[in-house]
Amino acid sequence: MVIAVLSLAGFFLALYLLVSKLGLAGSMICGVGECETVQASKWSMIGPVPTSALGVVGYLGMLGVAMLGLQPGGLRSRAVSGLLLGFSAVALVFSAWLTWLEAFVIRAWCQWCVISAILVTIIFVAALFEVRRLRGGSEA
Amino acid sequence: MTKFYWILAMVAVVGVAAVGYTVASGTMRKTATEPVEVEGLDNMETLVAMARGVSKGDPDAPITIAEFADYQCPGCGAFTLTVKPQLDAQYVETGKARFVYYDFPLVSNHPYTFLAARAARCADDQGKFWEYQNTIFRNQSTWVTKQQPQGDFVDYAVMVGADKDTFEACLKSDAHADVVSANLRLAYELGLDGTPTVMISMGRGMARRLMSFDFQSIQKAIEDLMAESAAPSADSASAAGA
Repeated sequence: MVIAVLSLAGFFLALYLLVSKLGLAGSMICGVGECETVQASKWSMIGPVPTSALGVVGYLGMLGVAMLGLQPGGLRSRAVSGLLLGFSAVALVFSAWLTWLEAFVIRAWCQWCVISAILVTIIFVAALFEVRRLRGGSEA
Repeated sequence: MTKFYWILAMVAVVGVAAVGYTVASGTMRKTATEPVEVEGLDNMETLVAMARGVSKGDPDAPITIAEFADYQCPGCGAFTLTVKPQLDAQYVETGKARFVYYDFPLVSNHPYTFLAARAARCADDQGKFWEYQNTIFRNQSTWVTKQQPQGDFVDYAVMVGADKDTFEACLKSDAHADVVSANLRLAYELGLDGTPTVMISMGRGMARRLMSFDFQSIQKAIEDLMAESAAPSADSASAAGA
């Protein structure tokens, strides 16, 4: 449940970054850091695709898998939680790379990107706990 | 489980409202990066009133040096960074001439030039036009290679001491798009076809377009113009003596 709620929040956060990147929103709301510098950097695009678009897709994917795991009828299986763990692990690595870029390459911080990185970390930890819990349950 | 769906619904509502507001908000106007339609520019009087240059020096100076330039044009950068300081020292700061800059953004070849022109006007709002222009030309080779040079333009504004938030709000809007578009139209109406274009005029006399814009050529053109304007008074003096 925590994973689904955080994934939905992350989806909207990534969507905000995406609409800003596409010029559909004006000045970014950025109380802390230099969001514009990060958004204007070459790392805000991966090829022709805005990096935030990958965030939108990633969070939506995690939300979908998390909702699948919450359905009754045996879908809350180890396979689903394993898939969620794998998904969130990829997101965590990607997020860690982006955070590293902010710190050492772009040398500017975007508060929304940092919040997204925190969300992904919590999602990963929650998925890890879920896998362990299911494994413990089946072993008992 | 019902509580969970309530929380999920609340997050969805807040998310949709926040992103929707961001896009729809009036303060989040789309950044103008290319010329805009301005009503009335077919009328020459309206066009001249609308196409405002940025002026430096004594408004009553006898000579006017006008430049039409494009921020992505390397020749314009060279002119601004090497020739203009000499013109400033010799003519503008001595009160002999005033310098007027007009935007001539050649948007078909230069994708960021219109935004750069607007950026310079945003700096002008804070009284930082000339230093910002120098900075933008000095860093021309850097920002022209970027996919999104807005961040660089903001950095340059901070470098020249402009207020970042005010500048950013200006840049991320359509502020000055009308004036820059009018300047572009004026350049076409004058038949200009390249940048930089430098023109000199005396008083309200016809402007002369210079074919060379190195300092020596401009200096000679100005001296010739001053000599020509002095000549009739010499004639009338001799006529009075006769």
